[in-house]
Amino acid sequence: MSSHDLHLEGAPFLKEQNAGLYEPAGSKSLGEATERSSKQNRAIAAEIPSWQDWRESARQIKQFAIANLDKLLVQFEERISARGATVLWAENAEQANRLVLDIAREHHVKTVVKGKSMVSEEMELNHTFEAAGIRAVETDLGEYIVQLAHQRPTHIVTPALHLSAEDVGKIFAERLGEPFSADHQHLTNVARRHLREEYLKADMGMSGVNFAVADTGTLVVVENEGNGGLSTSTPPIHVALMGIEKVLPSIYYLPVFLNLLGRSGTGQKLTTYTHLIHGATPGKKLYVIILDNGRTNVLADPATHAALHCIRCGACLNACPVYRRVGGWAYGWVYPGPIGSIVTPGLVGLKSAGKLPFASSLCGACQEVCPIKIDIPHQLVHLRHRAVNEPSPMNSLSERLTWKAWAWAMSGSKRYRLAMAAVRLGVRMAKFLPWHPGKLGAWTRGRELPRVPGPAFRKSWSRHRSQLDSHDRSDRT
Amino acid sequence: MNARDAILQRIRDGLSAEAPVELPPVPAVWPRTNPSPEQRVERFRRELEAVQGELIRCGSMDEARSKLADLAQQAKWSVIGAADRPMCRELLAGYPSDRTSWAKQGWDPKQIAELSVGLVAAESLLADTGTCLVANDTAEERLLCYLPATCVVVGRADQMAEHLPDAWEDVARHTAEPDRRGEFVLITGPSRTADIEKILILGVHGPKRLVVVLVG
Repeated sequence: MSSHDLHLEGAPFLKEQNAGLYEPAGSKSLGEATERSSKQNRAIAAEIPSWQDWRESARQIKQFAIANLDKLLVQFEERISARGATVLWAENAEQANRLVLDIAREHHVKTVVKGKSMVSEEMELNHTFEAAGIRAVETDLGEYIVQLAHQRPTHIVTPALHLSAEDVGKIFAERLGEPFSADHQHLTNVARRHLREEYLKADMGMSGVNFAVADTGTLVVVENEGNGGLSTSTPPIHVALMGIEKVLPSIYYLPVFLNLLGRSGTGQKLTTYTHLIHGATPGKKLYVIILDNGRTNVLADPATHAALHCIRCGACLNACPVYRRVGGWAYGWVYPGPIGSIVTPGLVGLKSAGKLPFASSLCGACQEVCPIKIDIPHQLVHLRHRAVNEPSPMNSLSERLTWKAWAWAMSGSKRYRLAMAAVRLGVRMAKFLPWHPGKLGAWTRGRELPRVPGPAFRKSWSRHRSQLDSHDRSDRT
Repeated sequence: MNARDAILQRIRDGLSAEAPVELPPVPAVWPRTNPSPEQRVERFRRELEAVQGELIRCGSMDEARSKLADLAQQAKWSVIGAADRPMCRELLAGYPSDRTSWAKQGWDPKQIAELSVGLVAAESLLADTGTCLVANDTAEERLLCYLPATCVVVGRADQMAEHLPDAWEDVARHTAEPDRRGEFVLITGPSRTADIEKILILGVHGPKRLVVVLVG
């Protein structure tokens, strides 16, 4: 198991003590923007009569792809190698980082431009470059902003969703020395001007991969800004990073996925640019790095295979009431939201991420919007079951004792009454304590203690019942 | 064991208990309604304009040349860089040759960035989404689509497919050709972003303006 650093700033679901959901959830625009996207998703799905058929087709194709993953990856490798690409494999982030550095050193690379790649976030590749003295610049506008701010993306499609235009203006003023502005067009022009220079001087370009087509050996990169096109064609070297699950069996299956991805990700019929890259262009080098990094752990549990069907559209994030409230950092790693809660435990293990499957109300909105029909709620329940039975923070001694005590208190009416009386007393007393220890402290730092309501329900019920009974009797007479 | 074999072995171990899954049929995606050529062009215009692209419709190549000259004057274009394709040659036949530059191997990206316009030819056009399908064989041709501030795509009306699945047979066949290099790119409007507060802004890294010259 790889040892990932999961202790990011503001990651309440994964931190032991600070389990407070009051931590900064970003700007208020997060809730509004996600709600708008989600409404858009629903409208689009309603507008297309065959939407449900597309989802079912996509699910079946992905199921086939994962069930034949070994053969399809080998076929993809063979076909894209025949088109002049060099295919490299990495078992974990460390190996992948080393491969990228080796390529960079071999070609004396000093600067790198990067298109958006979640795999590169998994690898923390920018740290690796920095340590090696190589300048790496994110070119997706959202990624560029969070990189300048030394932050992490909060959303997989719109990484800077938590920042307002004013925030971005301040970041540009501080890091780029630009005069402050909060005008969207102006900010975009500033980024364009700075990033143009980066493309033109970069020695190496990087990209993620949306789909890797096995029967033709084609890399598919989907984007809107044009930074994907520029990062993969301006520098003399293109390095593409992909997880093993990105493979599709045939080019004939691509249209349904392109239709689903554009609509679910950004509400577009098709994204502005869809690049079907067939191998290296004359005079240029193409490397493809295929990364495992825990994905085969997901394969080890048949009940979780569907987590590998994800096409990273972000629709479940926008639909999730928990994500909308807490933002992306709360999930502590690269993949936030409902999909993060099932992917992260698979990739980094339940031991570090066992709490994530509990960060959900199981309302089912994520499954409803998922274009691949991934049954996220059932996966969450399955992972919860595993988390309380396998080594994980949900299976600690204190968790076990707490639930034992709870089960004991709930399994007899006398015990229940006793327990409730203790809780009432406890809550009343807690107000007078000068400080609150442990988890209670984390909770009350951002909240008022609840007021203990009047008489217990049982007491008022027995009183009302005696009144009702006497009414009944008087009615009958 | 090297990384490749180790990963493949772990995949096989994970899949060993799996029941085989049948190859699913290729989904129809969209039914074909076979609209008339005129309906297709109108649909294309509507969709292209919805994504902030511009359509210039010309009855003949002569008309296209004169409209291109008007456009060049209005927008004060100087040098047009173009992919060396028959349709681009035809369109630029009347354009001053000292203000024309043809894609060549080893063309410096800095020079491509200085061009007023990048001109490429469409393989096919998709009415349903206002999309141009362009085959770029070299990095220089690719850059013509992304570096200059304006991208012009020239196409013929008889290349107009109904939608993505309608054009896909051709795409799939070409993609499968082992000698094929470079990329097929589906271009739907000029470059855009909504990364700051989800507000749409055009022309972030790629072209700010996309003009489709449709002949016939």
